[in-house]
Amino acid sequence: MPDSKAVLSLAVSVGEVLLKNGGEIYRVQETVTRILEAYGIQDYHVFVITNGIFATVDEGREHAGSMVRYVPIGEVNLKRVAEVNQLSREICERKCSLAEAFGKLEECRNSPSAGNLALVIACGVGSAGFCYLLGGRFYDSVVSFFLGILLELFLILAAKHHASRLIMNILGSALVTAGSLSLLVAGAGILSDKVIIGGIIPLVPGVALTTAIRDLFSGDYLSGSIRLIDALLTGMCIAIGVGAVMKLFQFAGGGAFLL
Amino acid sequence: MIVQILVSMAATIAFAVLFHVPRSEYWLCGINGAIGWMVYLFCTSRGAGVTVASIWATLVLTLIARALSAIRKMPSTVFLMTGIFTLVPGTGIYYTSYYLVMNDLAQFTAKGIETFKIAGAIVLGIIFGLMLPQSWFNQLGKVWKK
Repeated sequence: MPDSKAVLSLAVSVGEVLLKNGGEIYRVQETVTRILEAYGIQDYHVFVITNGIFATVDEGREHAGSMVRYVPIGEVNLKRVAEVNQLSREICERKCSLAEAFGKLEECRNSPSAGNLALVIACGVGSAGFCYLLGGRFYDSVVSFFLGILLELFLILAAKHHASRLIMNILGSALVTAGSLSLLVAGAGILSDKVIIGGIIPLVPGVALTTAIRDLFSGDYLSGSIRLIDALLTGMCIAIGVGAVMKLFQFAGGGAFLL
Repeated sequence: MIVQILVSMAATIAFAVLFHVPRSEYWLCGINGAIGWMVYLFCTSRGAGVTVASIWATLVLTLIARALSAIRKMPSTVFLMTGIFTLVPGTGIYYTSYYLVMNDLAQFTAKGIETFKIAGAIVLGIIFGLMLPQSWFNQLGKVWKK
């Protein structure tokens, strides 16, 4: 039987990668316990919340071990979730030795994802699509497409400089609003509110809010609360960004442009 | 109508890229998202409220996502999280906080309550969809392989 501390370390690391890249709480909890069981550990406790994993094994014995990981809320990367899921399936079918599993986990952690160009274009298409679905015209969607591209470029640039996420949201939504209102003032004849809502769609925490309520429903009250606060705060930051720029344009034009 | 299908599909695929879904699953995510949006539009056109329409749309989405996850050997989150993107009340949160910032408190409460109702409805749809036993979907995956 392998060393219980190494097994614990593997299980918690797998859980960490899963949690960091957007796996659900119950999935992380189940994966960690399954891996511990696969390596023959009977006595374990695992507790997972949105931004941390706590686990102990073989409590009350000589080789007892416990581990805590802090996992900040990060970018969703479903490719890594899928790969880690595959890895945990292999581990549970006992196809993988401990050393192999560590190696594969490292591959999953660094697996390449979509390039920046793809992200920028996807952001533009997403913005344009939502602008249309929410009642914009084709013309507005085209404007939204370019604002979406602008936003993603800004986000990539800001991420490089490790800007705070909340500040990124404020500035990003302010950028989109400023862009669309400038065009409106210049006489482009766009439906500015549809363009703005399309442009900020990549920022809004709709999925986060739904995940939060899902966690609350499944009894993970702490995880749900953390996500809920995160979602509300993100929404608030976006609104501050949009509202501030709108007020600015209203003052500058004496309210003539808007309404 | 056709335009709505194509646009919702394109938007879902775009967010699938932003969520770093594996490349081979882009189309399936897009189709799933488009089906969800179709069910939503169908329900609202028949006079259902946004909440009820959201429940039905998510229920259908969740079932399809689970079937796809069994067939494609992927975690169901991949299809679920991208599929519900057209339905989740992202704009609702934005408008709610926007009205708060702009000090329009009547609109703020109305939008806020609506947002939470929709989010709750989507969660109920997901929960009902997850209630069917996994073995049925595994069976479906095996049948598909043959």
